[in-house]
Amino acid sequence: MAVNVARLAVFSPVDSTARVDVVVRRLTDAIALGLLADGEQLPSEAELAGRLGVSTVTVREALMALRQQGLVETRRGRGGGSFARAPSELDVTERLRAFAVDELRDLGDHYAAIAGAAARLAAQRSLPSDVAPLWRSLDEMAGAESNAHLRRLDGRFHIEVAAASQSARLTREEIRLQADIGPLLWLSHENLGGHDETAAQHRAIAEAIGGGDADRARALAERHVLDATDHLIELRLRLRE
Amino acid sequence: MITGSTTALSDLAPPDPTPAGATAAAVTCALARVRDTAEEIFAALDDIRAATRGRARAVRRGGRRLVSADLAALRPLLFGRLGAVIAGIGFIAAPGLLADAPWYLEWWQENPTGTPVQLLRDLDPSSSAFYDYTHWDWYAGPESGADRTICGPYVDYLCTDEYSLTLSVPVTLDGVFLGVAAADVFVRRFEAAVVPALRDVPVPAFLVNAQGRVVASNTARWIAGSVYRGAEGFAVRPVPGLPLSLVEGTAR
Repeated sequence: MAVNVARLAVFSPVDSTARVDVVVRRLTDAIALGLLADGEQLPSEAELAGRLGVSTVTVREALMALRQQGLVETRRGRGGGSFARAPSELDVTERLRAFAVDELRDLGDHYAAIAGAAARLAAQRSLPSDVAPLWRSLDEMAGAESNAHLRRLDGRFHIEVAAASQSARLTREEIRLQADIGPLLWLSHENLGGHDETAAQHRAIAEAIGGGDADRARALAERHVLDATDHLIELRLRLRE
Repeated sequence: MITGSTTALSDLAPPDPTPAGATAAAVTCALARVRDTAEEIFAALDDIRAATRGRARAVRRGGRRLVSADLAALRPLLFGRLGAVIAGIGFIAAPGLLADAPWYLEWWQENPTGTPVQLLRDLDPSSSAFYDYTHWDWYAGPESGADRTICGPYVDYLCTDEYSLTLSVPVTLDGVFLGVAAADVFVRRFEAAVVPALRDVPVPAFLVNAQGRVVASNTARWIAGSVYRGAEGFAVRPVPGLPLSLVEGTAR
């Protein structure tokens, strides 16, 4: 159901065994995906604890970890609170530095496997009502005015492809991988062929899914990830230590 | 569209002791189980519709527009319907209905720790790629006049990350569309309710939604999530009163 809700899911309860890292990962994912916008105020510690179904101590530790990663900023006093901080372009380069080349390759391999399998199943299983959201996202992307908006729609498009596979696990994995490597791949797409090339790849994936061409959908989705990963690896190799 | 022959329920009686008779009797039981399961959910939605309409009427009589706080009156009713089969339930306002919020959901989800949890209501189009709920079938169906909508199975990445069904009905007041009463049901729970009856059908049998997506099945060949696009050797039997059909193998 519902709404803006990848964001809403961010604050749905985690089970009682969940620990600080579960909360950290959820909020990291949400901020990296742009589901929590840059500068947006987070609910209070008590409210977060209530919504997530964890103790305030857990929330406090999670926020501390997020502050250390630069993803959350806490201000004291009137108008104070915790605010999401989206990683900037500069931070993306910094983040790239944190990955060894073999890690990038491995992440790319993993993501290509997930994206390819999801696209293949989507082509086999989707109905017109599953394909319509893909085209709606692509149309919105064509008219998007800010880079941040484009980035959010790009995330949504790939989540919609995964959801069309009818696999909840592949969809969860897609969301997680977007958090792990999404911002980097986005940078890579931008540098590679710009938005036109990316848009053409997206359209080709949506066409293959709509046409029920499973092999082609898979190949295109894998290529989409692997091209960007190759480019990232090139960038990483050029970074001075 | 679903194609294939259909059989009226009246054609099935009286029971006869042949294998075909046993199949027909088991199919009748399976249809009854499906109806019972879905009717219980739609009954909850009818209650929410009546309560929402009553609240809207009372507020209007008071000479003002409905606001989001008015919908809090629905909560005891919503909480009482959570659990068992229903994982999330509520009222989704038509954009522009409320005086204080252009988009709004009075939506509650069950919570393993007991107290129901309300979805955060960040419906700001400028900060979200997901806010516009009017595109979803569970909203668009009732809005376009469908009496009962069953959306899914689909991966509910917006709410629960679960493979789910959403059942919904329109809420109107004097012919004006106010929004949608809806309930989320995990596919695994719906399956648990109807598969025991399907299992008793001695031929391949599965339930499909209006588009042909399989909802529950007694065979791995046609499992929940796959699509039935019509096939040789199958008969399609609409489930009375619901946007669902039962498909059964007719080959010997």
